[in-house]
Amino acid sequence: MASTSTWAGLRKNRAFYASIAPFFLVFLAFSIFPVAFSFYLGLSDWDGFSDPSFVGLANYTRALGDPVFQKAIWNTIYLWFWSTLFTVGLALALAVLINEYVLGGRTYFRLVFLLPLLVAPAIAAIILRVFFTSNGGLVNMLVGAVQGQPSYFNWIASETWIKPLVVLLVVWRWTGWHMVIFLAGLQSIPRDIYEAARMEGVSRWAIFSRITLPLLMPSIAFSIVMATLGGLQMFDEPYVLTQGQGGTNDSTTTLGMYLYATAFMQFDFGLGAAVSWYLFAAVVGFTLLSRVVNRRLGIS
Amino acid sequence: MMLKLLANRERRFNLMVTAGLFLLSLVFILPLYWTAVFATRTLSEVFQFPPPLWFGNSLLDNYSRIEQVFPPFRPIINSLLVAVPKTIGLVLVSALAGYGFARYVRAPGRGFLLAATFATLFFPPSLALIPFFLQMGWIGWLNTFWPLIVPAVASGFGVIWMYTYIGSAVPRELYEAAEMDGAKGFATFFLVVIPIIRPGLAALAVWTLIGTWNEFQLPLVVLGDGTKFTVPLALTTLSTTHYSDTPAVMLSTLMGLVPVFILFALLSREFIAGLTSGAVKS
Repeated sequence: MASTSTWAGLRKNRAFYASIAPFFLVFLAFSIFPVAFSFYLGLSDWDGFSDPSFVGLANYTRALGDPVFQKAIWNTIYLWFWSTLFTVGLALALAVLINEYVLGGRTYFRLVFLLPLLVAPAIAAIILRVFFTSNGGLVNMLVGAVQGQPSYFNWIASETWIKPLVVLLVVWRWTGWHMVIFLAGLQSIPRDIYEAARMEGVSRWAIFSRITLPLLMPSIAFSIVMATLGGLQMFDEPYVLTQGQGGTNDSTTTLGMYLYATAFMQFDFGLGAAVSWYLFAAVVGFTLLSRVVNRRLGIS
Repeated sequence: MMLKLLANRERRFNLMVTAGLFLLSLVFILPLYWTAVFATRTLSEVFQFPPPLWFGNSLLDNYSRIEQVFPPFRPIINSLLVAVPKTIGLVLVSALAGYGFARYVRAPGRGFLLAATFATLFFPPSLALIPFFLQMGWIGWLNTFWPLIVPAVASGFGVIWMYTYIGSAVPRELYEAAEMDGAKGFATFFLVVIPIIRPGLAALAVWTLIGTWNEFQLPLVVLGDGTKFTVPLALTTLSTTHYSDTPAVMLSTLMGLVPVFILFALLSREFIAGLTSGAVKS
């Protein structure tokens, strides 16, 4: 009897199921199926040609033992941390200054900082490479002019400088996006709070730290989560900047690049799949952590 | 005027902030400006010190050098062939599902399916990258545009965005009125809902177009043949093989940027609406 009524319910609501069907069918075929298959892949040894063999958790332990993978973890954390810190910090400062203190041209500022977002990460990396190239690059010319003798320093090949360059690229592209998020958040704070505070003679810093910052916390939390989801999976910028090599001694190989290299250059699909599950665990772990932190802080 | 501005302490601070931000904004667009300047200069002019600050007249000469290496408009056409059908499909599929979720609030399983759609937003795309590549190989879609179009039509972000938009833009009474008027099947969706949610559709479309234009990793994985390369892939290849010809690299880079900047110039309002939507829903 129950099944008849379920069936009747489905029939009665067939317009609902018909409207969501295209989305779910495509999603099932091209996302759920690959993800499920990825689970199987992670437990197998496979080069894509011969028969796959079941190896249990060997891929997972093999990845952990690989010094390049360990390096990729640290590189990813470095790039994620510094790019998030600078992007979110700069965007916050810009948004507050534009919203509160700029005399005019708000529309100009709002648009101009967004322009880099239109530039594909791969294209931004090409532009950056032209400016930092060892022979005839703009930056070396400037350094040469300051020193009084020509400089041929290879910034891209330098183990010290490549990571800050990737961070620079991310900050340049994403600051405007975060700024617009913060501007939207600032607009929702009632103006009279500020006016009242100003009448009381509260200092600018106190207004920022006691009023703006706490009320903007939901936007900041959102922005950090988005920057982290992107940062953990960073691929395009370091790939193009180092021409797919990951820099001298893998100095800027990220987890995303390690995954790509194992699967599509070494055809070690099992190891690549295992790495993708580590990445997934990192994303889920961070999401749960941010929820706990947000709840502690009473943000959402 | 100026003196009056400077007399007040607060005004002076505001003036300094404005000037400082203006300078910083110039730094942000300087790389793009220089890309355009270099694209119009000769190789030796680019390597001069101090570097050229204004446009030269070697644009056509640089262009003819690119043309000898590859047909410069092919990647742009390839990108359009991917981005336009994908955007139309994604917007339609998302609007339809968003409409379903927004209208049929009492359908069994709706809560679960909506939560599942939300959950997909946290799926890292890299998780499916390898099996997706293998799957495309089995279907025989490698080195075609299909893997970049068909699967991308199902976007959790698109569905949630349309669901939120329809929920706030379409009053419930409208559905009942349409039903009373005898609207059958999806007539309500196409004739009543679509016209109302046009701004929401436009925002999602612009956001998707630009995102697809900039995509790098997925095309890199599924496209093997250089004649099929989309803009970021083709430019990366060119910049690697002809890295010493800075003006040519910068000119082709500029050409890849122009379509996106035109789109932004025409539809910046929709673009900004699309980007703040993420913050609204959280």
